[in-house]
Amino acid sequence: MNIFTSIFIASEAVGPPETHSWIWPERAEIVYGCTASIIIFIALFKFGGPVIKKGLSARTERIQKDLDSGKNDKASAQAEATSIRAALGDIAAERTRILAEADAQAAALLTEGRARITTEMAGLEQKAEADIAAAAARSGDELRAEIAQLAGVATERVVSSSLDDSTKQALIENFISNVGAAR
Amino acid sequence: MSDARIDGYARAMYEIAQAEGVVNEVEKELYTLARAIESNEQLRNALTDESLPVERRQTIVEQLLGGKASTVTTQLVSFIVGSGRGRELPAIADKLSKRASSESHREVAEVRSSVALTPEQQQRLSDALTKATGKQINLKIIIDPLVLGGLVATVGDTVIDGTVRTRLDQLKSRL
Repeated sequence: MNIFTSIFIASEAVGPPETHSWIWPERAEIVYGCTASIIIFIALFKFGGPVIKKGLSARTERIQKDLDSGKNDKASAQAEATSIRAALGDIAAERTRILAEADAQAAALLTEGRARITTEMAGLEQKAEADIAAAAARSGDELRAEIAQLAGVATERVVSSSLDDSTKQALIENFISNVGAAR
Repeated sequence: MSDARIDGYARAMYEIAQAEGVVNEVEKELYTLARAIESNEQLRNALTDESLPVERRQTIVEQLLGGKASTVTTQLVSFIVGSGRGRELPAIADKLSKRASSESHREVAEVRSSVALTPEQQQRLSDALTKATGKQINLKIIIDPLVLGGLVATVGDTVIDGTVRTRLDQLKSRL
């Protein structure tokens, strides 16, 4: 048997204490209790009050800080939202500007390409015409040269065949006469 | 061959012909032979072929000229060919001809014709050329079928051209 069991058995053996009123405690108990309570309250007020006050102030400050932080975050979020909206607007404007610029560049390239192709085509046509003219002239020259060559050969053959002895003698006599009459 | 060597051969041949008293004959025969060598590749090759023995080349000369040329001309040509100077024979003949003409105060007139000229025509031609150039003429007639007809005479640097060939060439150029 331990000590707690021994105390319990002893108390059971003495029986419960009895008071003068079934509501009010004993006077001394009231005095002592009230005094002790007052002392406790005073101690609590003196020592716990600042702590509680400090804790409440800190809580208030923290809540205020949180409120301020939330306010700042809200303002920041609103500013961010504004900037995002502005950025969206800028992006749209930039997109429009880029598209317009691309259209302008494409139009310029198209115009330039058309002009270049037109110029090149004109040059090519001119060159082709010149080549055709040169080829025609060359063909004409070649034809004329060939005709001339054939005419020369034919003339030589005709002349050779027509040069009989009497003609040759006549040519010799003519040469002698001309040389003799030169001076 | 150098000009000095050609001159040397021409001078020596002229001196021999002069000593023999046949300068005109030798000069004419050599000139005719030179033109024949120039126009006949087979003859030129036969006389200048170093692979043939000298005796063989000299025999060709004697067979070629025997009875047609004077003995002096035949011997001189045989000597030239035997010396291995057959290729220079036309140049030597030209030098000799010019020397002979110069000695007789005449100018060589080379006349090309498609047909042979009669002696009378040659004389009249020589007179005409003398009259035209003011020089005494040593006429050299070359038969050249390429001229077709007419004559072309070359006297020094002067060329008098009356050939059908030249007329035809001019006609071809105009065409």
